[in-house]
Amino acid sequence: MSQQTPGKKRKQKVRLELTRRDFLTLAATAAGSAVAAQALTTGPLSPFSSFKQSQLAGEEIGGHTTGRHQWGMVINLDTCIGCDYCQRACSATNDVAPEVPWNIVQEAESASGRRYFFSRPCLHCQHAPCVEVCPVQATYVREDGVVIMDYDRCIGCRYCMVACPYDARRFNWGEREDVNAFVPTWGIAEVERRPRGVVEKCTFCVHRIDAGLANGLVPGVDPEATPACVNICPVDARVFGDLKDPESRVAKLIENSATFRLREELGTRPSVYYIPPKEGV
Amino acid sequence: MATSTAPISRRLSISPRAGGWLGFLGLALLAGLTAAILVFARGLILTNLSNGVPWGLWITIDLSAIALGAGAFTLSAVVYLFGLKRLQPIVRLAVFVGFIGYTTALLTLVMDIGRPDRFWHPWVYWNIHSVLWEITWCITIYLAILIVEFLPVIAELKFFDRYPKLRALAHRIHGAAPVLAVLGLLISLLHQSSLGATYGILRSRPIWFKPSMPIMFIISAVAVGPAVTMGVAFVIEWIRRKATVPHDILRLIARASGLALLLYAYIKFWDLAAVTYYGRTPGSDQAFSILRNFTPYGFGFWVGEIVIGILLPVLFFLMPRFNRRPGYLVLGAFLAMVGVVFNRWNVTVSGLVVPLDYAPGVDLSTVLAKPYIPNLTEWAIALGVVGYALTLLTLGVRYLPLFRSPEEGKH
Repeated sequence: MSQQTPGKKRKQKVRLELTRRDFLTLAATAAGSAVAAQALTTGPLSPFSSFKQSQLAGEEIGGHTTGRHQWGMVINLDTCIGCDYCQRACSATNDVAPEVPWNIVQEAESASGRRYFFSRPCLHCQHAPCVEVCPVQATYVREDGVVIMDYDRCIGCRYCMVACPYDARRFNWGEREDVNAFVPTWGIAEVERRPRGVVEKCTFCVHRIDAGLANGLVPGVDPEATPACVNICPVDARVFGDLKDPESRVAKLIENSATFRLREELGTRPSVYYIPPKEGV
Repeated sequence: MATSTAPISRRLSISPRAGGWLGFLGLALLAGLTAAILVFARGLILTNLSNGVPWGLWITIDLSAIALGAGAFTLSAVVYLFGLKRLQPIVRLAVFVGFIGYTTALLTLVMDIGRPDRFWHPWVYWNIHSVLWEITWCITIYLAILIVEFLPVIAELKFFDRYPKLRALAHRIHGAAPVLAVLGLLISLLHQSSLGATYGILRSRPIWFKPSMPIMFIISAVAVGPAVTMGVAFVIEWIRRKATVPHDILRLIARASGLALLLYAYIKFWDLAAVTYYGRTPGSDQAFSILRNFTPYGFGFWVGEIVIGILLPVLFFLMPRFNRRPGYLVLGAFLAMVGVVFNRWNVTVSGLVVPLDYAPGVDLSTVLAKPYIPNLTEWAIALGVVGYALTLLTLGVRYLPLFRSPEEGKH
């Protein structure tokens, strides 16, 4: 060891020896890093590759989904009267337990102190946190932008509920034996009850959309192809339609009025737009 | 109970102390089994979990058990990868404790998911974007590594005298220990951190969403996991009145653990400062004020995590007047373990009881009521899985050659 003779050799000459082997190792490391850096910034493995330039630049309505349609909703907080009809029709149509509704209606107060009603279905985010975290892909965004559950695949870990920023998901804690009090007054159950142990959520009444399209109907225009909450609203506060069709009512409403989406800063890109009350939220 | 165990204990010559211990284990397993059957029959409705707080005590046990099992990968890596061969005598125990920790976690997880019959779905239906998917895979692979690492020990059982070929095969696997250590290290670093990332990546919850989450999880696991193994070695020594692992090794582990806890404290300090003092973002500010006013979060954090979990163990592990006495080392390991459990509980439950702020105009204090206190079913399962862990440990200590070096083991 060199420390044993510190006094004798004051100056130890440091020679840099570069063998062929060292050289090749260094060169390979450098080349490898360069390739890795390139792959990580632009390649298909890159965590940034999902940002397309158009998405970074700003958002045109419905730019993300690959399908022909992107189903969306506009909720007018200015006209909503808080009658809860949407909640009841939803619970009846989808056979949701009335005490844990998919659709919620809550009282809210604007900054100036005026009361209004805030309601919320699932927002059907195009960049949905719940879809990202599901370990088995039991929930996913369809080509038409609807976020749905595969009840046969869900393992009931409930990570999606923890991840959802909007509290839109419900778990079936036990086997349901209740009689749905909203059936048949507010609608007929059109889908099966979900089994115990899986997560469920608003589906935009996807069974109506699919059946309607198959029969040549237009969701958002023909009631048979439109979500129950939209059909029943007595003040037309909920409007449904294709965000990709510039002639649809939703697209026109979004174009012609000031709208906002919930917690836009999270980058979830919901398909539900809100028209604020006149005095603001 | 007492009338029936007395004659048996005489016949099997079990001391009253051992009899009491076995009785306790039996009761714990019975409680857990009863609750498990009820939960399988009627579902998670029997718990106090809700749509607001869908994760609770059981997730805390999962996270804690995996963190406390971290001694296995840490000590294996230290011995086989970093060449600190001195620590070899504790590796077997560390791997065994790790195995107990991981199987405990898996057992609890199976109880916790709504569809235990679909536990295999993550292996078939992949979502490569999900940290939970990655964790499932890592834990599966790592459990396999632990089993392979442990095979030579099992092969030394008397039972395998009859199968010398199997025993030889198991010992040949021991040759692969360095490779297994590398693999175990990589996979453990990944999933131990990912458990923190499970919370850290959730944009919707301001008090979770921070890059320090995975770092704090991995450092606390590396700090406390080996300390737990150390504490277990001492306790086994006391009970069996027979030397297990040389004390200088155990003290070395305690000191390393103390230093790692200091590092953990340092990162925790900056995390706290960045979030609460310098950060002051509206979301996390509001969350902390809700926690302060409505929950015992402050007590859990300062007393449970900082004083019990870090300060006292650091004193016991690092100050010579304490760390020369095994009693303090065991106490320190126990307190550090309690601290980890406090931390995992605080992270999980505190993040969930704070209501989500997404509805403009809705007063959060009116939606607040989301308290969570585990009920009897949840505690019974908890007792059951702890009973499982202790039973496995007892059996291992009684029947497995945990404290023989592999050189002795070769015949």
